[in-house]
Amino acid sequence: MFSKVLIANRGEIAVRIIRACRELGITSVAIYSDIDRRALHVRLADQAIHLGPSEPDQSYLSFEKIIQAARTSGSQAIHPGYGFLAENSAFARAVQEAGLVFIGPSPTAIQLMGDKGEARSLMAAAGIPILPGYQGIDDDQTLFHFAKKIGYPLLVKASAGGGGKGLRLVSGSHELYEAIAAARREARHAFDDQRLILERYIPNAHHVEFQVLGDQDGNLLHLYERECSVQRRHQKIIEETPSPLMTGDLRDRMGAAAVSAAKAVGYYNAGTVEFIVDPTTQEFYFLEMNTRLQVEHPVTELVSGLDLVQWQMRIASGEKLPFNQDQIIQRGHALECRLYAEDPAAGFLPMTGDIYRFLEPRGPAVRVDTGVTSGDTISIHYDPLIAKVITHAEERVGAIRKMQAALQEMVVLGVQTNWQFLQDVLAHPDFQAGKVHTTWIEENFEGWQPPDCPLPPEVLVAAALTEFQSVSGSQAPPGITSLDPYNPWRVPNGYRSGEAA
Amino acid sequence: MRYRYQSAEKVYNITIERKPSGYLATIDGVPFEFEVLSAQPGELSLRFGDKTQNITWAADGSRRWFSMQGCSYVLEKPTRRSRRAASEIADGDTIHSPMPAQVREVMVSAGEEVQKGQTLALLEAMKMEIRIQAPRNGRVLHLPIVQGQPVERDQVLVVIA
Repeated sequence: MFSKVLIANRGEIAVRIIRACRELGITSVAIYSDIDRRALHVRLADQAIHLGPSEPDQSYLSFEKIIQAARTSGSQAIHPGYGFLAENSAFARAVQEAGLVFIGPSPTAIQLMGDKGEARSLMAAAGIPILPGYQGIDDDQTLFHFAKKIGYPLLVKASAGGGGKGLRLVSGSHELYEAIAAARREARHAFDDQRLILERYIPNAHHVEFQVLGDQDGNLLHLYERECSVQRRHQKIIEETPSPLMTGDLRDRMGAAAVSAAKAVGYYNAGTVEFIVDPTTQEFYFLEMNTRLQVEHPVTELVSGLDLVQWQMRIASGEKLPFNQDQIIQRGHALECRLYAEDPAAGFLPMTGDIYRFLEPRGPAVRVDTGVTSGDTISIHYDPLIAKVITHAEERVGAIRKMQAALQEMVVLGVQTNWQFLQDVLAHPDFQAGKVHTTWIEENFEGWQPPDCPLPPEVLVAAALTEFQSVSGSQAPPGITSLDPYNPWRVPNGYRSGEAA
Repeated sequence: MRYRYQSAEKVYNITIERKPSGYLATIDGVPFEFEVLSAQPGELSLRFGDKTQNITWAADGSRRWFSMQGCSYVLEKPTRRSRRAASEIADGDTIHSPMPAQVREVMVSAGEEVQKGQTLALLEAMKMEIRIQAPRNGRVLHLPIVQGQPVERDQVLVVIA
């Protein structure tokens, strides 16, 4: 096993990896940009190295600086987390060439699966069902021609894409031109690669993905599915396992397909094979493979009982998987909600600002993965994810109720979040019935507004009481000020809770 | 002691005095008896009759943020400045940046006639494209942004006459 690992990421996932390092007895090395100088991942890591300015390309995306930091700190391996350089095959290769271990799959597997067009061809050859579509020379003329053959609605996708960037749904030929232009522009900007592919769009489809885990000796297993159909702007906000759509037979077929898909590229370490499932026919189609740890990996951890991040490091250090497919069982039901700094009533626009106060929910089988604490800032530079709340219960309904209770206990002051939106989704009869598909949010929450919260008198009373408590002056951190010596419940012989006056 | 707090346009007058078994608050003359069960920095646990309310709060200058039963509230200590700010509500012809972002592309120039819904500029924040569209037909009167420039939240992007 490694003795020192550098974590090439920030936020909640860096914190998650630092915790895994600690449990494995590995010294963790964090990296940070200017704005993250006091970030939680920096505070928790055993060692932290400053990389440069807040702009990702000069810090979290800089190959040279990261590899240099790994060298100078004496790290043996680099964990990329998700996002940033996690699916960059050139980075994985550069790490290996520097004599370090990349905690993830081979650079070749990343490269093959990173190109949507190439992955489609490869999967078709491996006998994995794919959607009717087109990949190849993609000048506008050719795309127009093939769009007609595939039929509408269809998706225009960036070949190098991910996370909903460079993705456009086209309902008819009149929208195609604009969609291609917009997808190209976004793809060029986000991935520096403007190639596009076309794919038939299946209405009311579910997004179901399978977690795979393989060692470097060719043992490859799946850890069952995750249902990720609750999406806005093509990005997931609620994930769960097992999928309410799943039957035993479909699970067996999809699990086998996921393992075949991963084997087709000689996959090892943790990865995820994403599928689209047509709920009317129970047919499934390969969507893409994410060659990294997923944001939503905790639900699989809770239901499988396996620590995926620890296994990533054990596999990368050469360990063999000591269990086989039959020993992997799904126990109970797990649900994850992503709390984002965003305004759901304004097209889920990301929000920025200072988090004056952040209180995590507690309780049995409630897990919170976060990269922030009270006093931290959500900045323009990075993903606006504040926290992931994960609950685990015997059954789906129990996991949902536990989530509702957990969110109710959560407090974020200072930045607008999707808190109320998540609560409204959880309470919706379609969600409770497990009938949510990937465009369900758009179709059911158009024009959504948070309910009016009339100002209760208790809050006005509390407002007056804040003057007892706080020391005025801008130097003191908000809400964390020392108690005023004149405050009435601290005077000698004054009122004490639970006692007669 | 007397306190004044403002929510939206309404100002509330609050008084608090000690009573033998707790406190008496009045809000614009209406009385509320309560006990303080716990008062930690940023966290209050108050009992009104037989109901306990746990209230989390934070201060930012004259502003107070509260969370109670999942709902969030912002109150302000009234000042002359906040009243002036309220009267400066922008008219519909001035388009402001919805968030801090970078100007990726400016698609129009000053003096140009634009149609309702036409894309005037593209902003980018957190790798997301934000399209700034014309709210109505008109002419670009003022265009104080250039490509590549960072903009703050509420900064004026385009003025249409």
